[in-house]
Amino acid sequence: MPLSCSIKPAASPATGLLGLNMIKLLFFGRLGDFAEGVAPNIEARADLTPAKIRDLLAADHPALFAELSQPQVLISLNQMIVGWEQPVFDGAELAFLPPVTGG
Amino acid sequence: MSLSDSQFMRYSRHLLMDDIGEQGQQRLLNAHVLIVGMGGLGCPVSLYLAAAGLGGLTLCDGDTVDQSNLQRQILYTPEDYGKPKALCAQQRLLALNPDIEVNIFTEELSPATLAPSYDLVVDCTDNLATRQQLNAYCFAQKIPFVSASALGWEGQLVAFDFAASGNLCLNCIIDKESAEPLLNCSNSGVVGPVLGVMGSLQATTAIRILVGYFKQHGRVQRYDGKSGQWLTLNAKANPQCDICGVR
Ligand SMILES: [Zn+2]
Repeated sequence: MPLSCSIKPAASPATGLLGLNMIKLLFFGRLGDFAEGVAPNIEARADLTPAKIRDLLAADHPALFAELSQPQVLISLNQMIVGWEQPVFDGAELAFLPPVTGG
Repeated sequence: MSLSDSQFMRYSRHLLMDDIGEQGQQRLLNAHVLIVGMGGLGCPVSLYLAAAGLGGLTLCDGDTVDQSNLQRQILYTPEDYGKPKALCAQQRLLALNPDIEVNIFTEELSPATLAPSYDLVVDCTDNLATRQQLNAYCFAQKIPFVSASALGWEGQLVAFDFAASGNLCLNCIIDKESAEPLLNCSNSGVVGPVLGVMGSLQATTAIRILVGYFKQHGRVQRYDGKSGQWLTLNAKANPQCDICGVR
């Protein structure tokens, strides 16, 4: 499924390393089930935050957007837990983790 | 105080380990741990801690055993239907290890549960409000707190040693004012052994803290049993945190 024009899928570099101006996206656990067709890398640009990336996914991936809008979703930027308004820089790995509440 | 002959036999596989040994076993025997929630996580946690010779365990759960619990709550049998979980668990754990003390509260967490003093609290509950209450209690008492949760194929564990580290707590990671998500184990299910994985990790972490090898204050471990993946995340203290922030 094509992504909205504001998020461009990035070609995977042959080296396996992220190119410049790219952000790697990871949807952990059951979020992965809702993220089929989402490009693994997106183009970085100014003022990008996890909240803005979520909003950019809304049009083409409404079910994923709904899951990301649940309370207690965790976000990690390069393995550090951050908030929805954290600036996301070039070359970063951004992971979204669904809430896990049972016992 | 030294170990009895019977304790030497029972705990010999700890005593054989140089980094546990008699001193480590004595620390476990002298410790009293509160386990809140005797469901899918509380069962493996309490079995392993009882077997390991945690000298005192206090179990807290207001629920009774239901047929639908037996898919994952491995302490209980059909004979327990309708009986308080904490009471059934106490009988099983004492049968496993008569060497320890097991106290119970057959009601939900209350000030009475938190009145005695504990060396460590294990959070095996299924709701954020109780988790946050335990986090605040452990922070105030400066005692370690081992929290886990599970849902579907996934589990999460985070532990804090408030005796050693004064900032960064559960509320810095998950705001206590957050709403509960729609999904929980009752309405969306959970794979039994995922609770075993996370409960075993909680018991391992509790033993690691009590014996003195814990350095992962506030680190979050995530497990996805469907893909077999683990993820370890770090967290930062929130200076404005209501619980641990500078005021
Ligand atoms: Zn805090």
